[in-house]
Amino acid sequence: MVGAGLAGVRAAGSLRAEGFDGRLTVVSDERELPYDRPPLTKQVVAGTMTGDDIRLAGEAEFGARWIRGTGAVGLDRERRRVRLADGAELPYDGVVLAPGAKAREWPGAGVPDGVVTVRGLADVRRLRAEVAGGADEVVIVGAGFVGVELASSLSGLGVKVTLVEPFGAPLRALGGTVAEVVSEAAGRAGVALRLGVGVRGFAAAAGGRVRAVVLADGAEVSASLVVVAIGMVPATGWLVGSGLALPSGRIHCDERLFARAAGGAGGAGVADPAVVVAGDAAWCEAVRTAEGPVPLEHWSNAAAQGELAGRNLLAGPAAAEPYVHVPSFWTAAFGLRIRSVGLPGTGDREVVEAGSAAEGAVLVAHYRGERLVGAVSVNQGKLLPGYARRLN
Amino acid sequence: MVEIRVDRDVCDGLGQCALVAPEVFALDDDERLVVAPEVPDGLAGKVAAAVRACPVRALVVEGA
Ligand SMILES: Cc1cc2nc3c(=O)[nH]c(=O)nc-3n(C[C@H](O)[C@H](O)[C@H](O)COP(=O)(O)OP(=O)(O)OC[C@H]3O[C@@H](n4cnc5c(N)ncnc54)[C@H](O)[C@@H]3O)c2cc1C
Repeated sequence: MVGAGLAGVRAAGSLRAEGFDGRLTVVSDERELPYDRPPLTKQVVAGTMTGDDIRLAGEAEFGARWIRGTGAVGLDRERRRVRLADGAELPYDGVVLAPGAKAREWPGAGVPDGVVTVRGLADVRRLRAEVAGGADEVVIVGAGFVGVELASSLSGLGVKVTLVEPFGAPLRALGGTVAEVVSEAAGRAGVALRLGVGVRGFAAAAGGRVRAVVLADGAEVSASLVVVAIGMVPATGWLVGSGLALPSGRIHCDERLFARAAGGAGGAGVADPAVVVAGDAAWCEAVRTAEGPVPLEHWSNAAAQGELAGRNLLAGPAAAEPYVHVPSFWTAAFGLRIRSVGLPGTGDREVVEAGSAAEGAVLVAHYRGERLVGAVSVNQGKLLPGYARRLN
Repeated sequence: MVEIRVDRDVCDGLGQCALVAPEVFALDDDERLVVAPEVPDGLAGKVAAAVRACPVRALVVEGA
């Protein structure tokens, strides 16, 4: 098992639940025992939950050997070995690849001190320490769900927050109506929004610490701390050389979650019966639009794929089941409870089908032509199961 | 007979269970979880999947 996030933990659990009584080794490059990520930017930043409250599994679980703080650096599928950063090699009969993703770092050079990203518990601990230590002006670059949740939690702590989104709208993937509701609520919470303006870089004080974010128009927004929240990068660099297909850095797997070898001309080849994939790092043929597979970076997908990956690895390709899943995502910020089902971002028009943006309670359906592709709710969660059924 | 217990202190009305097993779980107007008084026959598997789909581990199933 490589990676002990949600997907890895679920895979380990299902391997054991299905009766696998052989040797199980869990490799994680984090020292931390497995934990759940969604509360990080919500309750953990806010201080209402701690690391102990979000633990997913203890060391005694799964009767596994745990290797923590040492990452996998190579996969030799011919010799069936996982190579670790310390040079050790682990032989395997089957391997679950669940390395998830890392936060995307600021692409420019010369990033000063006090510019951070958030993906894990250690990042959030550092963020809280910075705020406790007096960081009272935070600029967040990127208004995806991580940026928006952080803006909400930090402003709740009394920090002055500016949220900068070069591409124009917060939670843009969920459509224009939701962006409007979120912008409005963020404004009411005292968060300054700078939408549609790019970031050129950062200005540092004499000691090397960041003092401002420099916008594309040359304006400076002063900051004692900057969070770069511009998305994630699959943690698959170590698989280059494994011979697996890695479209846009994700691990290509068939609809039963078996990893595909790279074929000729950038295409994908045969599936490896000893390698299954789950979670944020997966690019699964079962999750797709007409144009092809789409990656999912959601909790429910990591949980469901993890479970099936464990089961299918044990069953083998002939008896394995296909992955059947209606995508589902939630986020919460500024008192808004936001949920989605399906793939709203793949539609070409959105229709308000209940409530309204002005009320702060709205259900927006996303269509591609006449076909429903997704739905997003703000405080209208009771309507979503009906949409999920239509997406099935 | 399957019995479902909801830890109300933990349940956040995320509604993931209602997506997996809408026959048994639903949200009300205030996004609070409502559970059917009786689990229809043949739905034990779906209910188990709904329990596993809960991000905050608020659901427990007893009996089978
Ligand atoms: C701050 C935050 C908030 C979120 N909030 C929500 C939310 O509200 N709703 C929602 O639906 N989703 C949310 N998500 C998304 C959800 O948490 C992810 O989809 C989920 O964590 C994916 O699980 P995973 O196991 O695939 O990957 P991860 O959780 O990333 O776990 C992968 C693990 O593998 C380790 N690893 C990586 N490379 C190696 C290697 N080479 N060797 C060994 N170990 C390795 C990583 O360090 C990590 O511990 C959130 C994510 C974040 C970061």
